[in-house]
Amino acid sequence: MAEKEATVYIVDMGRSMGERHHGRPMTDLEWAMQYVWDRITATVATGRKTATVGVVGLRTDVSTHWDPCLMFGTGTINDLEEESFSNISILFGLGQVLMPDIRKLRETIKPSNTNRGDAISSIVIAMQMIIDYTKKNKYKRKIILVTNGTGVMSDDNIEGIIEKMKEVNIELVVMYYGVKEEDKDSRKAENETFLRSLAEDCEGAYGTLEQAVSELDIPRIKVTKSMPSFKGNLTLGNPEEYDTAMTIPVERYFRTYVAKPISASSFVPRSGTEPGSQAPVKGDAEGDALASVRTSRTYQITDESAPGGKIDVERDDLAKGYEYGRTAVPIEQTDENVANLQTFAGMGLIGFVQKDQYDRYMHMSNTNIIIPQRANDYASLALSSLIHALYELESYAVARLVTKESKPPMLVLLAPSIEADYECLIEVQLPFAEDVRSYRFPPLDKIITVSGKVVTEHRNLPSVALKDAMSNYVDSMDFVTTNDEGQATDDLPIDESFSPLLHRIESAVRYRAVHPNDPVLDPSERLTEFAHPSEDMVKNSKSHLEKLMSIADVKKVPPKTKGRKRQRETEKPLSGLDVDALLSLEPKRTKISTENAIPEFKQTLSRAENIDAIHDAVQQMAKIIESQITHSLGHSNYDRVIEGLGTMREELVDYEEPAVYNDFVRQLKGKMLREELGGDRRELWWFVRKGKLGLIGKSEVDSSAVEEQEAQEFLAPN
Amino acid sequence: MVEDSYTREEENYEDEELDETSFKSVKDAVLFAIDISSSMLTPRPSPDPKKHGDESPASAALKCAYHLMQQRIISNPHDMIGVLLYGTQSSKFYDENEDDRGDLSYPHCYLYTDLDVPSAQEVKQLRSLASPADADDDVLQVLEPSKEPASMANMLFCANQIFTSKAPNFASRRLFVVTDNDNPHADNKGMRSAATVRARDLYDLGVNIELFPISQPDHEFDTSKFYDDIIYKTSPSDGDAPAYLQPDTNTSTAKGDGLSLLNSLLSSINSRSVPRRSLFSNVPLEIGPNFKISVNGYLLLKKQEPARSCFVWQGGETAQIAKGVTTLMSDDTGQEIEKSDIRKAYKFGGEQVSFTIEEQQALRSFGDPVIRIIGFKPLSALPFWANVKHPSFIYPSEEDYVGSTRVFSALHQKLLESEKLALVWFIPRRNASPVLAAMIAGAEKIDENGVQKIPPGMWIIPLPFADDVRQNPESTVHRAGDALNDAMRDVVRQLQLPKAVYDPSKYPNPSLQWHYRILQAIALDEDFPESPDDKTVPKYRQVHKVGCFHDPRNARTWAEELKLQASEMFGGSVAATSTLVKRGAKTEAAGEHPSKRVKVEDSEPGVEDEVKKCYAKGTVSKLTVAVLKEFLHAHGRATAGKKADLVDRVEQYFEQKF
Repeated sequence: MAEKEATVYIVDMGRSMGERHHGRPMTDLEWAMQYVWDRITATVATGRKTATVGVVGLRTDVSTHWDPCLMFGTGTINDLEEESFSNISILFGLGQVLMPDIRKLRETIKPSNTNRGDAISSIVIAMQMIIDYTKKNKYKRKIILVTNGTGVMSDDNIEGIIEKMKEVNIELVVMYYGVKEEDKDSRKAENETFLRSLAEDCEGAYGTLEQAVSELDIPRIKVTKSMPSFKGNLTLGNPEEYDTAMTIPVERYFRTYVAKPISASSFVPRSGTEPGSQAPVKGDAEGDALASVRTSRTYQITDESAPGGKIDVERDDLAKGYEYGRTAVPIEQTDENVANLQTFAGMGLIGFVQKDQYDRYMHMSNTNIIIPQRANDYASLALSSLIHALYELESYAVARLVTKESKPPMLVLLAPSIEADYECLIEVQLPFAEDVRSYRFPPLDKIITVSGKVVTEHRNLPSVALKDAMSNYVDSMDFVTTNDEGQATDDLPIDESFSPLLHRIESAVRYRAVHPNDPVLDPSERLTEFAHPSEDMVKNSKSHLEKLMSIADVKKVPPKTKGRKRQRETEKPLSGLDVDALLSLEPKRTKISTENAIPEFKQTLSRAENIDAIHDAVQQMAKIIESQITHSLGHSNYDRVIEGLGTMREELVDYEEPAVYNDFVRQLKGKMLREELGGDRRELWWFVRKGKLGLIGKSEVDSSAVEEQEAQEFLAPN
Repeated sequence: MVEDSYTREEENYEDEELDETSFKSVKDAVLFAIDISSSMLTPRPSPDPKKHGDESPASAALKCAYHLMQQRIISNPHDMIGVLLYGTQSSKFYDENEDDRGDLSYPHCYLYTDLDVPSAQEVKQLRSLASPADADDDVLQVLEPSKEPASMANMLFCANQIFTSKAPNFASRRLFVVTDNDNPHADNKGMRSAATVRARDLYDLGVNIELFPISQPDHEFDTSKFYDDIIYKTSPSDGDAPAYLQPDTNTSTAKGDGLSLLNSLLSSINSRSVPRRSLFSNVPLEIGPNFKISVNGYLLLKKQEPARSCFVWQGGETAQIAKGVTTLMSDDTGQEIEKSDIRKAYKFGGEQVSFTIEEQQALRSFGDPVIRIIGFKPLSALPFWANVKHPSFIYPSEEDYVGSTRVFSALHQKLLESEKLALVWFIPRRNASPVLAAMIAGAEKIDENGVQKIPPGMWIIPLPFADDVRQNPESTVHRAGDALNDAMRDVVRQLQLPKAVYDPSKYPNPSLQWHYRILQAIALDEDFPESPDDKTVPKYRQVHKVGCFHDPRNARTWAEELKLQASEMFGGSVAATSTLVKRGAKTEAAGEHPSKRVKVEDSEPGVEDEVKKCYAKGTVSKLTVAVLKEFLHAHGRATAGKKADLVDRVEQYFEQKF
C-alpha cells in the first residue's frame, strides 16, 4: 500500500505570467503549466483516492480562501493581514482529482489582470489546507510553488512559517521561473534569493522550471514491490529418503518482469450520438458518449441435419474437456485433476553444467532471484557456500522447480551472483525437449553440394576482403556506455532505456486528458534514443561502412521481380532429368483433368506457346473451379476452390497475363453473388477477400489495366 | 472477456507465423508412404542378444509414424498426418472395396490411416500395427507383401489424390517415403518414367517428397539410381529457403541392426517433424545507415503449453467439441455490435479517455519492421539476468537484397570470433512494440547421428527496459568459510550432468506428457498409467552417493561442515529461526539435535518428529493448524484450506510414504 499523499500546487497566475519569453509561442503560464499538468496527471493516472492534490492560485483577481490566521492562533484578522492574504484563491481543495476537476482547472487557470498577491501568504494558505486535511494522520505532505517571482513578498513571521513547516513535516518545493541574469530587476533577484533560502530553510527543494520542463520527457519508472513467487526448500538429494540430502529454505522473487502498458477497455459510441459523425465530440461530453461493451457467449455444435449445419447448445449441457487429436475427451467434474501431473513444491537440484558450455540463447523466460529464507542464518550460510562453489567452478546448477503443489514442474538454470553486500542465485527457465523446434539451415561458412563436396568460395560466402571489412566496421562501432563518473563501462544501456510503448501510451492518455482536442504526439526523443546509432558513432565508422558497402555489393531486388519464380526456366529434379520432355509424351494430358487440375494447369501453361493456349488453359480451369463451387455442399470444396484460384492468379501474374485472370474473376464474382453457382456463396466470397485473390492491379503487373483503386474496391465487402 | 481475448490475440501474434502475402492456410500435412516388401519386413537382429532389437525396417518406420503422430497431437494439434502402405497384397482407398477387385484405382496401396488430424482411435490402430507382437491377425494381414511389385507412379498418384482432397490449400504438404529399395523399377523404363511424371505432378501441386532411405544389410542405398529423378531441388512449399539449400537426400541413410536403425530413423524424422514456418520474413537487418540486408525470423525455442480446455457436448453418438461464439453487445442498448465500431478508451480520473482507431494505431506505431544495429559490445556485457522472454532466430534471405547471405555470414563469423554482440533496435512486425535487444551469433551444432541440432544463425535476445528491472529485496549475507565452500565444490564437481552441458532433448516436459498420456487413456478407455515417466526428477541415489563422499583432503562432508560453521558463527543456541510458527521454546537447537539428518530447515526439528508421532498414534487432528501448516510447507504441500483439509493432507503424506 502506497503512502497517502497531500500535495498543494501554488500557481502564480499574475498578469506578468501572461507574457511570452524566449520566442515561445505560449505564455509563461502555459509553459509553466506543462510541468504542473504533468505532475497532476501523473497523480491522477494512479487512480488512487489517497493521492490527494490541491491547487492554489496566486495573484488572482479575486480572493477565495478561508481564514488562515486561525493557524497561528491570533484569533481575528486585522485589516493588514486581510490585505496580505488578498489575491489568493483556492482553486481546488485537497482531494482526489477527477476528469471534471481537470476541465474546470483548465478553464480557471489563466493569467489575471493583477500583479498583486503575496507568495508567502499563499504558502501559508497551502499549509493550512494540508494541516486541516491531513490532521495528525500519516501523510506525505508537499507544497509546490510555481512562480516567476516578480511579485511583492513579505517576510513577516517567516521564522514561524519555517518552524511550522518543519513541525508538520511539509516539504516545500519552489519551482522558479527565471529569466536571463541581465534582464533581472533587483526585486526579482531579491525574491529569488529569498525563495531559495526559504526552501533551504524548510529543508525543501529549489529548482528552475527550465530544467523541470526539459526533464518532463524522462519517463518515470513505477517501482513495484516484489512478492515472493516461491517459498520452499532448495534440495540436493531426497531428504525424505536419504539423510545425506541437503535442504536450504529459500525464497524466489522477480529479477525482471515485463511492465505492461495500461490496458484499454472497449466501448461503443452511445446510441443517440450520431453514428457517422467523425470523432464524436471530445472533451466535455466524451465521458458520457461511450457505452461499455458486454459479451455473451453461446455454444454451437455441428449437426448436419440442422439448417445451417449447426445448432446451439446450453452451457450447462457441456462437460469440461480437452482435444486429443480430433477426438474430444470429456473429463468428469470429479476427476478434473486427473490429467494434471501430481507434484509437490520444491526446488530440486538435478546437476551442474559448465558456464562456457551453456548457450545464452537457451534462456526462455524472465529471470528471478533466489535468496535464503528471511532471518534464517543457516539458510544464508548454506546458500552462500553453493553460490561461491558455483562461482569458483564457473558452473551453473540445473534444478527442477515446482512453485506450488500441483503446478507443472519447470527446469531452471541457477547462476551465482556475488556483489559487495549481496548474494543470490539468478534463475531462468530452460527449454524442455518439446520446446525446441528443429528447423534446419545450411551452414553459413561453407556450402555442401548435392554430391557432398564442400565448397568454400561461393557468391553466398564472404570473401576474405569482405570478412576484413566487416571486422573493421564492427570494431569501429563499439557502443559506449559510461558510469556516473564518465568512465567507459561494459554495461548494456538497460537503465537508460525505457519501454517506448508503455510510456508513450501513458503520456498520450495524460496529454489527451488535459488537451482533449490536440492530435496525439510523436514519441518523445527519450523513448526512441536507441532507435538509431548515435551520430558520433556513425561519423566515426563512416569510412569503414563505406568500404564494407562497396565490397559487400548488396543489391536491392526491385519490387517488381520479387517473387517472380521463373524466367521460363523449367523445374528439374535433382538428377536434372528433363521431365517436361516426358510429360509432352504423355498422351492423356491434352485436357486438364479435374482430379489433377493444379499440376496439369501449371504444366499446360509451361508448354503454352501462344496466348490462345493460355486462354484455353484458363477456360478449362475456370470450368473446373465453377463446377467445384456448384457442387460444394456448404463449404466442403471451398479450400480447393481457393487453392485453384490462388494458383491461377499466381501463375498468371508470373506469366504477366493479368487480363485473363481479371476477366475470369470478375465473372466469377458476379456469378457467385447472383447465386448462380449452387446458391448462397457469400462465405466463399469472404474467403476470396481474405486470400486477397481479387483483380491483379498495376502495382503487381505493369501491363494490367486495373488501377489500384479499382482492385481494392473489387474486394470491398458486397 | 473481450479484454481477455484481445490480449490473447496479442500473444498469439507471436505464435501465428503470419504470412499476409499468401492465400494458403498455414497448416501442415504429412503422409507417410511406407514400403511393405519382404525385405522391409525382415527383422534385423541385434548382435547383442540382450537388446530387444529385432526390429524390421517396416516396424521401425511404423513406430516412427506412431511416435510422430503422438508428438504432433501435442505440438501441432491442427496439423494432419496419415499413413499409406504400399506394396501390400491388399488394397484400401476410401470406399473402394477389396471385393470389387479389378476396379481398384490404386492396387497394392493401403491407406491405413487417412490423412487427417488423428483421432484417438487412429492412434490406437497405428500403435497396434507398429507393435505386431500384440496385434490381431487381421491387423497383421495388412502387412502381407504383394507378390508383384507395386507401381511407384500409382503410389505417387494415390498420394496426390489424398493431398488434393484431404489437405487442399495447405501451405505445407509433405510425403515421407520410407523404403529400402533404391531402384524400384530397375528393368521397366515405362514404369520408371511414369513415376517421374507423377512425382512432377506432386511437385507442381506443392507436395514435398522427403525420402527416408534404409540401406539393406548388404547394400548401401543409392539415391542416384531412382530417387534423384523423383525429388526436386527447392521445395515448393519452402519458398523462402535460401536458393542453395539442398534437400536432405544425402542425410545419413538408416542402417544397422533394428534398434540403431529405429534410432537413426527417429532422429532424422524428428528433425523434419515440423515444417519450417517463419515468424517474420524479409525484415531488413540494418547493419549501418543505408546498408541493409534481408533476414527471416524463426521461433526455434518456444514454450509448448498443453491446449486449453474446452467444452464437450456428449449428447450425440460421439462426443463433440462445442464451439464458443462470442457476441459483443452495447451495454447501453443491448444491441449486437460490430468489431469495427469498437473504440478503445483508458480509465483516467474516473472517466474514459478515448482515442479513435487511427490514433490508437498511430500510438502503437514506431516505424516499419527492422532489426537495426546501433553498436557492438563484448559478449560479456550481457548479464545473465538480463532476459525477459525466449529469443528469436534469424537467418539471411536473398529475396529483398541479393548478397544478404554473404554479408550475414561475414557478420556471423566476426561476432563468433571476437565474442561480440550487436545491440539492436528490433521491431519484428508492423505495429509491434519495439525492443532493445542483444543479437548474438550461434554456431551450428550436430548430434551423434550427424543430424543438425542447432542451426547456425543469429539469436535476438530482447533485453529488459529499465521499467522491467525489479529491485532486489533485502537479504542478509553470511559468507561461508573456505572449508564449507570446498565441500560444496566437491559436490558440484561430482554431480555434473553428462558432458557438463544441459541437453533439452533429454528432458521431455513431464506435465505435458502426462496430460496427453491421460487424455489418450481416457479417449481409448484404457487403464491409466501408474506413474509418470518423469525425467526431470533428480537422480537421488546418485546424489546420495556423492553426499556421502569424503574427499581425503576434507575431513568432513558439506553437511557436517555446515553444522560446524553454523555453530561457530551463530553459537549453538541460535538455531535456524522459524518464520512460520512462533513458539517460545527453542530447546532443540540444531547443534544438539541427535539426528544425523542435518537440515537447515525452517521448521524446528521437533515439528517433524511431533507430527510423525501423532500420525503413528492416529492423533494428527490434535495438532495445531500452525504445526500442520509448517509440516506441510516443509514437504512442498499446499497449506491452504481448513484444518480438516490439512489433517487429510498430512495423513496422505504418510500413507504415500509408507
